[in-house]
Amino acid sequence: MIPVMQAFRLSGSRVLEVDLHGDAVRAAHGAMIAYTGDVAFKSAGMGGGDGLRAALKRRATGESVSLMHCSGHGTVYFAKDAMEVLLVELAGDTLKVESEQLLALSDKLSTDVAFAGLRGMSSGQGLFTTTVTGYGTAALLSSGGPPIALGVSPQFPLVVDPDAFIASQGRLNQTFVTDVSWRNLIGESSGEAFSLRFDGHGVVYIQPEER
Amino acid sequence: MPFEQVNGKVVSVPVAPGREVLARRGAMLAYTGHVQFAPVRATAGGMGGMAGRMMAGEQVQMMVAQGQGTVHYGYRGMYLTIIEVGQMGPLTVEADRLVAHDAGLQATLVFLGSQGGIRGAVRGAVSGQGMFTTQLHGYGTAVVLSHGGTIALPVQPGQTTTVDPQAFVAHVGQVNADIALNASWRDAVGRGSGEAIQLKMTGNGTVYVQASEQKI
Amino acid sequence: MQPLDPTSLPDNDNIPGNHYAYCVRLTGQLFMQTGRMIAYYPAPNGPGIRFEPLTTASVSGFVAAQFSAPLYARDWVVATGQGHLILGDRGYDINSYDLGDGNLTLRAANLLAYDATLELKQSIVPGFLTLLGTGKFLASSSGPVIFAEPPIRVDPQALVGWADCPSPSHHYDAGWMSGFLGGAMGMMFGVQSGEERQYDFTGAGTVLLQSSEKTLADPHLVQQLEGQVGALDVPGLSHLQSVIAQRLSAQQQR
Repeated sequence: MIPVMQAFRLSGSRVLEVDLHGDAVRAAHGAMIAYTGDVAFKSAGMGGGDGLRAALKRRATGESVSLMHCSGHGTVYFAKDAMEVLLVELAGDTLKVESEQLLALSDKLSTDVAFAGLRGMSSGQGLFTTTVTGYGTAALLSSGGPPIALGVSPQFPLVVDPDAFIASQGRLNQTFVTDVSWRNLIGESSGEAFSLRFDGHGVVYIQPEER
Repeated sequence: MPFEQVNGKVVSVPVAPGREVLARRGAMLAYTGHVQFAPVRATAGGMGGMAGRMMAGEQVQMMVAQGQGTVHYGYRGMYLTIIEVGQMGPLTVEADRLVAHDAGLQATLVFLGSQGGIRGAVRGAVSGQGMFTTQLHGYGTAVVLSHGGTIALPVQPGQTTTVDPQAFVAHVGQVNADIALNASWRDAVGRGSGEAIQLKMTGNGTVYVQASEQKI
Repeated sequence: MQPLDPTSLPDNDNIPGNHYAYCVRLTGQLFMQTGRMIAYYPAPNGPGIRFEPLTTASVSGFVAAQFSAPLYARDWVVATGQGHLILGDRGYDINSYDLGDGNLTLRAANLLAYDATLELKQSIVPGFLTLLGTGKFLASSSGPVIFAEPPIRVDPQALVGWADCPSPSHHYDAGWMSGFLGGAMGMMFGVQSGEERQYDFTGAGTVLLQSSEKTLADPHLVQQLEGQVGALDVPGLSHLQSVIAQRLSAQQQR
């Protein structure tokens, strides 16, 4: 059976349109701005709808993917805080994403929580990332302007500010770089005292604004 | 269409005798030529003009620009959408989302509490934008504010378009906006408002929705 | 979307299609505001990229010659090394400008980064810095920058900077003033918005405006204004106190 891709469309750069024909889509709580037709909304529970084990993991880690389940017949329009939307296709691979930057997931994708290392000690962000796997489309959010996709290869390792990190995809090794003493100076950034370094093969998505 | 979109957040408009412009106080960024700005008395409606506005705690002072020149308007870096009024019907916009309009358009302020009592008041409270909407009648152009820009959704006879009140910006045409309660909506509405309220749009026209639930 | 990497990233330009992020090809030193790096690719086989505060001994001699704005020193770092450095500033628009043996004064909070070949001085206009010489600099703005030429009157909060023309003077709208003084309404609103008081530019040059009257926060402005309070007498101080009280209550109502 060929998996059917749901119609995820962008209306401008900040609004996601999804057509529902009796099926469902999961989206960030409160992200629905309008819809036509007949659509029902319910909370997907604390686990993002992926079973008790995932739910318990989230409880333990404090990672909250607060998703709601939208089903019915019609077109639903999603947006969040006027952030730009990025569509990422998954074909059996894995996407690691900051849960705050997740807008919607097509029905057949599943989510889990993964340990991301000691990132987030001083930022108050969780130590964990949401992983998305399967076949379908994930709609991600970029704060402060359009998202930027940066390729990582053995020739070109990449260093990223953790507060600008949205998601990563591919075979990547993530480590920490700590030679950023300038962060202790007065300025906008009250965040991490280190940066994320990526080696391997893959893509990292970043946003222009630091969380 | 005298208003011109300079970029997503700025419009410019020529001002001349007989072609004055009304705009929200504080929206003027710069001007060339000889233009004077004077405050305008709020138009009557609902609870009676200025006194009415003050009692509701809303102070959207309008300024008239007159003379000969060009004025650039913008408001706190928010996005501006230019809307033609009259072809399809009047424009209804949340009172504090109106930035500027041709002086030729007739503006009336409608106190939501006067429309169907509690339902109107609830709508204002839920959208968080106060108890007033502004209606513009006549033929001309208006400029409205949004957080992140708007998308225009058609409202067609025989079909209902449902809108989150916190994302609602304006509607133009012969459109009716009714409050409806929907238990399953409670999970859908953001910011923990706990309300289960939605706006049902019917009729013939266009509804402008912003890509966010933030108020002005 | 097609991923970028050092082979496709621009050398000193905005990321394609993105007004909010800028890529610098670092080949030496760049003065930049702290905290604006969002990502970087160190050049292969190169020394990497380091960020050092201005107070570090290794840069101090050089810095003293080029950077004459002590009030702002702690906000700045020197980026040194080789590679592609991507900058973002709180979601504000970023643009690059070339100064050719010129002078440009701009609001301190809007200056993001500049070539080490330029000199930076603190302007006597509170909150503004002056750049002199030849080189490239980056400025942030709330919304895109609009370029205009004098004669023009500008809402003080929409002003980003000006080049070559004389410093502006104040202009008070006479009609507004008489209406304001005559009516009771004046008492309620005070002199708050750009319609009453503008900066008036004349002469030959360029004026830079941002698309908003929302100014980028500058924590040092308070210090500068505080320094000037010492020049006021008692009636002046009381008046200032009531202006501040009015402004605070207007802010709270928003």
